[in-house]
Amino acid sequence: MSSEVPEFCIAGLGVTAQGRHLGIPPRALRREALELALADAGLTRRDVDGYIGTSSEPGFEDVRHLGLSPAFAWAMSAGGATATWSIINAMGAIRAGQAQVVACTYGAAPTTRPRGSTGGRSGGYGAYGYGYPMMYGMVGAASAHALHAQRHMYRYGTTSAHLGAVAVAQRAHAALRPGTIGYGHPITLEEHQASPMIVEPFRLLDCCRDTDGGVVVIVTTTARAAALRSKAVDILGVGTGQNLRNWWTGDVYDLHDDIAPAARTAFGQAGVTVDDVDVACLYDPFTISPLMQLEAYGFCGPGEGGPFIAAGETGLGGKIPTNTGGGQLSGYYATGFTAVVEGILQMRGDGGATQVAEAEVALVSGHGGNAGVQNTWSHATLLLGAHR
Amino acid sequence: MTPLLPPDVGADELDDPFWDGCRRHEFLLHVCRECQRAYWPAASCIDHGWAPMQWQPSSGRGEVHTYTVFHHAYMPWLADRVPYAIAVVRLDEGPFFHTDIVGCAPSEVAIGLRVEVVFEEAGEGWVLPHFRPIATNPLTGRP
Repeated sequence: MSSEVPEFCIAGLGVTAQGRHLGIPPRALRREALELALADAGLTRRDVDGYIGTSSEPGFEDVRHLGLSPAFAWAMSAGGATATWSIINAMGAIRAGQAQVVACTYGAAPTTRPRGSTGGRSGGYGAYGYGYPMMYGMVGAASAHALHAQRHMYRYGTTSAHLGAVAVAQRAHAALRPGTIGYGHPITLEEHQASPMIVEPFRLLDCCRDTDGGVVVIVTTTARAAALRSKAVDILGVGTGQNLRNWWTGDVYDLHDDIAPAARTAFGQAGVTVDDVDVACLYDPFTISPLMQLEAYGFCGPGEGGPFIAAGETGLGGKIPTNTGGGQLSGYYATGFTAVVEGILQMRGDGGATQVAEAEVALVSGHGGNAGVQNTWSHATLLLGAHR
Repeated sequence: MTPLLPPDVGADELDDPFWDGCRRHEFLLHVCRECQRAYWPAASCIDHGWAPMQWQPSSGRGEVHTYTVFHHAYMPWLADRVPYAIAVVRLDEGPFFHTDIVGCAPSEVAIGLRVEVVFEEAGEGWVLPHFRPIATNPLTGRP
C-alpha cells in the first residue's frame, strides 16, 4: 500500500431508516440524513461549502430547505453510479479550490406515494424504460440485466442455482443486520428456486426491491478531518469506466460495465492489488451483478463467479466477504449509496455481526446512467481504507 | 396501447428516413461512406463523424445475440402478451437492434438463432420492424 497519506477522506456519514413505505417525504429524508452526518462529523451547516445532489427524482436541489449556504450546489445524474461519482466530484471540487467540506446528498421515497397523488402505483425504479426497446415491451431494469446474465449462462454454463447462491449469501448477511429488509429472515436455495420467474433468468429472489431512505456522505481533506471528532475513512483511489466503449466493439453484453479501466485507475491510485481488498461492496440490483463484478475485478477467473459464490467464498469466512450488509438485494436500495455506506461502516469497524475482522481496504462499486440503451452503463470504483 | 417512438429514436427528424423506410418495408441502416461501418439509429461515426453518414438499405437479417423472456407484465398494456421474448439482434451489417421475436414460441428463442425482419402496421401510419426466425429448407438446412 502507498505510504503517502491519502489527500481525501469521508468525515461524516448520515443514514436514516431505510425501508418500504416509510411515509416520509424525500426532502425530509435528505434533511434528516444531513443532520445525522453533521453530528457524526462534528460539523455545522455553515461548515458545508459544497453540495452535490444525487437523487433521481425532482426536488433534489432543495438546498434552501436543508438550511445550507454552500459556495456551489449542483445535481448529478448517472443512475446507480451517482453515489460513487458524487464522491469523485467532491474530491475534484476540493482539489480545484472550490470547497473544503462537501455534502453528497441522497434521499428518495419510491415506495411512498406523494401527498395529493391520485395515480396508481408508479411501478418504481423497477419499471424504468431505457429508450426505443420499450416499444417492444422491454420495460424495467431486470430485463436490462437479464441480457448480460443470459450471455454469461450461455458462455460459461452459469445456472439459476448459481444466481440463487448470491441471493442466499447476501440474505445471510442481511439476516444479521438490523434495519435491513432481510433482517431475521434468512432464505434457502430451495426458496429461491421456488420463487416465481419474472424476467428470464431472474426469479423474484434475484431482484432487489425499492426502499425509501436518505444518506449523506461528507467528503473533506484528511487535514481538515484531523480536527474533527468522527472516525474518518480514507479514500485510497477512485476510477471510472463507461460501457458504451464496448457497445462499439460488440462486447457490451459479455461484460458487466467497463470495469477494467475503472479498476486500473482506482487500484493504481491506491497502490493496492485485489489481494489487499478485505471486503467488497458491489452494486447489486440483481444477482448476476456481484457474480460478474467479482470476475471483472479479478477475485476469481472469467466464468468462475457462480461456483466461487456457491462455494461460500463471498460469506464472512470466504475469500472475499461481499455485500456484508445484505446489499441492495436483501439490505435496502439507496441506489449506489447502499454499497458506499457498507464500505464506510466496514472501514470504521461498525459492521456489527457481519463486520470483517481487521478489515483495512474496502472495494465499493457503482453502476448506472446508461448512455443510450440498456447496458451502456457508467461504472465507478471507490477504494476505501481504514484510517491509520 | 404500445407507446411509439421514444425520444431516442423519434424526438426530431433525424430518424425519419428509417421510419419512412419501414413504411416501404425496407430496413435502413445509417452507414459511414468513409469506412462502411453501419449504425442504428441515426449516429455519428466513431471515426469519421456526422458528415459521411447516409441511410441505406440492409439485409434485414441477423442473429439473436442475447434475449430474455418476460413472465411479468410491468405495464397494463403488456398483460395479455406475457410470456414474450425480447432480443438484441446482431444485424449482419454489425449493429445491435432491440426487438421482439415473433413467429415462434418464446421458449424457441435462443442465442445464435438466425432471424429476419418482418414489418407490421402499428396504427396511426406507423410501421414497426419485428424479427422472426428464418425458415430453413428441411432438405438443405438452409433458408
